[in-house]
Amino acid sequence: MTRLFMTTTAIALGLSGAVQAQSATDVLNTYADIAAAKYEDSLIAARTLDAALDALIAAPSAENLQAAKSAWLAARVPYQQTEVFRFGNAIVDDWEGKVNAWPLDEGLIDYVDTGYGGPTDENQLAALNVVANPTFTLSGTEIDATNITPALLEEQLHEADGVEANVATGYHAIEFLLWGQDLNGHGDGAGNRSWTDYAQGDDCTNGNCDRRAQYLAAATDLLVSDLEWIAGQWTAEGDARAALLENEQAGLAAMLTGMGSLSYGEQAGERMRLGLMLNDPEEEHDCFSDNTHNSHYYDGLGIQNVYLGEYVRIDGTLVSGPSLSDLVAAKDSALDAEMKTKLSNTMLALGRIKSAAEAGFSYDQMLERGNAAGEALVMGGVNGLIDQTQSIERVVATLELDQIEFEGSDSLDDPSAVFQ
Amino acid sequence: MKTPFATLAFCALALPAVADVNDVLDQHILPYFHGFAVATDTLADQASETCDPALLKPAYTDAFNAWMAIGDLRIGPSESGALSIYFWPDKRGFTPRTLTRLIDEKDPVVQDATAYSEVSIAARGFFALEQMLYDPAFADYGADSYSCALTAAITADLAAQAKTLADAWAKEFVVTIRTAGQPGNTTYLSEDEALRAVYTQILSSLEFTSVQRLGQPLGTFDRPRPARAEARRSERSLKNVLLASESAYAMAGHLADWDIPHTDAAMSRLRDAATRIEDPAFQDITDPSARFRLEALQIAVQDLKTAIEGEIGGHLGIGAGFNSQDGD
Repeated sequence: MTRLFMTTTAIALGLSGAVQAQSATDVLNTYADIAAAKYEDSLIAARTLDAALDALIAAPSAENLQAAKSAWLAARVPYQQTEVFRFGNAIVDDWEGKVNAWPLDEGLIDYVDTGYGGPTDENQLAALNVVANPTFTLSGTEIDATNITPALLEEQLHEADGVEANVATGYHAIEFLLWGQDLNGHGDGAGNRSWTDYAQGDDCTNGNCDRRAQYLAAATDLLVSDLEWIAGQWTAEGDARAALLENEQAGLAAMLTGMGSLSYGEQAGERMRLGLMLNDPEEEHDCFSDNTHNSHYYDGLGIQNVYLGEYVRIDGTLVSGPSLSDLVAAKDSALDAEMKTKLSNTMLALGRIKSAAEAGFSYDQMLERGNAAGEALVMGGVNGLIDQTQSIERVVATLELDQIEFEGSDSLDDPSAVFQ
Repeated sequence: MKTPFATLAFCALALPAVADVNDVLDQHILPYFHGFAVATDTLADQASETCDPALLKPAYTDAFNAWMAIGDLRIGPSESGALSIYFWPDKRGFTPRTLTRLIDEKDPVVQDATAYSEVSIAARGFFALEQMLYDPAFADYGADSYSCALTAAITADLAAQAKTLADAWAKEFVVTIRTAGQPGNTTYLSEDEALRAVYTQILSSLEFTSVQRLGQPLGTFDRPRPARAEARRSERSLKNVLLASESAYAMAGHLADWDIPHTDAAMSRLRDAATRIEDPAFQDITDPSARFRLEALQIAVQDLKTAIEGEIGGHLGIGAGFNSQDGD
C-alpha cells in the first residue's frame, strides 16, 4: 500500500531524482530513535525532579529548594532538545502545550508583586491566585479547588477561558513555583522565592504554604505522566513513529519542517528577536530562573541533532545512525557542507550567549534598551537561525520535497498546520 | 492626501502582468514603499505643528493605508524593520503598559529622535500611535503635555523608519533580488530562490490575514474576541483585511505572465464578502449573523491563497518557503 502510494506520488510529481526509499527509511528511523531517546531522557529527568520536589515538600529547607532547582535545570537539558519535533509531527504539536506553554500570566497560580497589576483586557484570570483561593468563579462556574489535583490543573485551569497565557501546568508553572517572579528588572539575579514559602506552620511565608506544596506536587505528577505518554508515542509501536514512517517523502519533509519552523518563526522570531525589540526583561523563555540562555542553546542543538542524526543522552551514550546529512551529501555535497557550517555557526552564536550568561551577563540584561553588547549577542543568534533556515529551504528543494503539499500529505509549508 | 495605494486594484487589472520578480518590484514594492515614506513624512510634518488627535487622524489613516501595500513583507530590510512599525498582535498588552510607563516617568527619550529608536517596539509605530490618537485613556492631552511630545516623537520615528526602509529596499535589497543567481550573491543562489522568497511573502500575508487579522477576533463560537480585532480603535480592521488581500493579489498578478482566472474570481468573491461586513472594527461578532459574515470573509481569504498556490505555485512548480509567522 505504502509502496504503491509512493510510486504514484513519484510519477505524479516527476520525482526522477527522489531519495531512494531504503535510505530515506533509515534516516527516518534514526530520527525516531533520537526522539524516543530524548523523550525517555526527559521522563527520567522529570522523575528525578519529582523526587527532589517530594523531598522539598516533606522537609522544606534552603538546601532542598536548591536541590529541586538544580533538578529542574537538569530536566530542561533533554527536553529543550526535543522542541525540534514539534512542528511537522502533529502528535507532538497537539501535546506540547501541556508541558512547555509560554509565556504565562503567573498571577493565575500564586501571589505576585503589586507591580504585576490585576486582570487585563486579554485575561480576566491573570491575577486569580489559585494557591490563595480554594474556591473561585471561572467563566461563570463556581470551581472547588479545595484539593489541588492534577485533574484540576489539567482540565479546569490550563488555558482557562481560552486564554493561552493561563498556563497552569508544565515546566514553566513549576519554574515559577520554585523561583518566583524575577523582580530585578534588567538587573542581576533571578527570581528569589524563599524556601519558607513551603515551610509549614508558623514559619510559612506568603501564606497557604500547604496549598502551594499541593500545587507543586500536582504539577510535577502531571509533567511526569505527560512525558510518559509522549515517550510511548515514539517507541517501536508508537503512533508518532508510525505516522512519521507512513510515507518517506512526507516523513523527510516533517523533519525539515521541524528544523525550519523552530529556527525561523519560533526561535529567531517569537522567542529571541521579539523579546529584544520589546526590551522587556520578562520576555525571555525561562524568565523566573534566568535559564533562557540554556533554553535557546539546547533548542539550537536539537535542530543540529536532527540534521546530523546524533544525540548524546543524559547518561553520556551516543544515539546515531543514517542522517539527513548523508542523504544530502549523496546528492549535493556542497549543500551538505553549507548546511553543516550554518548549523555550526548558529551553535557558536548561541554558545556566546550561553557563556556570557554563565559568566554573569544574564539574558534579561542583554534585552535592556540601549545595551549594544547584549543586542549584538542576541542578534547573532537570530541571524544564525535565519541564515540556516535558508539552507534548510535549499535542502528541501534538493531532496525534492517542496511539492508535497499539492499531494495533500503532510505539508511543509501549510502554516495552518503549524499554527495548531 | 490621496495615497498611491488607492489605485492599486486598477493597476492589477490594467497592466499586462509580465513574468518575473522584477515586475513585483517595479510595479508594486518600490513605488508603494516610496508612497509609504511620503505619507509618514506628511504625518510627521503635521505632528510637528500640532499634536491634536483630531487633526492628525486623516494623515494617520493615509500613512496606515500606504503601509498596508507593503506592510506584510518580511524579507530583506523588512525582516526586522517591519516589527518596529507594526507590532501586532499585542497579546500581553505591552503597548498600553509601555506608553503608560513613558508618560508616568516623563521619560526624556521623546526629546531625541535618535534615542527614541532604542525604545521598545511596543511604544513605536502604528499601534502605539493609534492608542495616542484614538484611545480615551491616552488621547485626552493638551498641547503642552508630555503626551503631545510623545505623539510627535512616535510620528517622527515612524517617518525616519519609513525612509530607512524605503531606501534600503530601493538602493540595496532590490539589487540582491535582481542579481539572484549571479556570482557574489550569497542570499539568493538562483533566480528560483528569489522567486520563491517573493512568492512566500504573498502566501504568508494571506495566511496572516486569515489566522490573525480574522482569526484573533473570531476566537471560538462560544468566546468571540472583539477586543482582539486589529486596529479596532481606529476602526480599520476590515480595511486592513481588504488592503492586505488586494496587495497580495496585486503582487500575484505581477508575478504571473499567464491568466490566473481562479485567483481573479477568488479576489472578486473576497471583495463581495467584505462588502457584507457591517462593523468595520468587527465589534459586532458576538452576534451570530455578524460572525457568520466574518467567517465567510475568512474563507474567502483562504480561497484566494489556495487559488494562488494552484495557479502560480503549481504553474511554476514551487512550494512556499518557511514563514516568519510559524510558531505559536
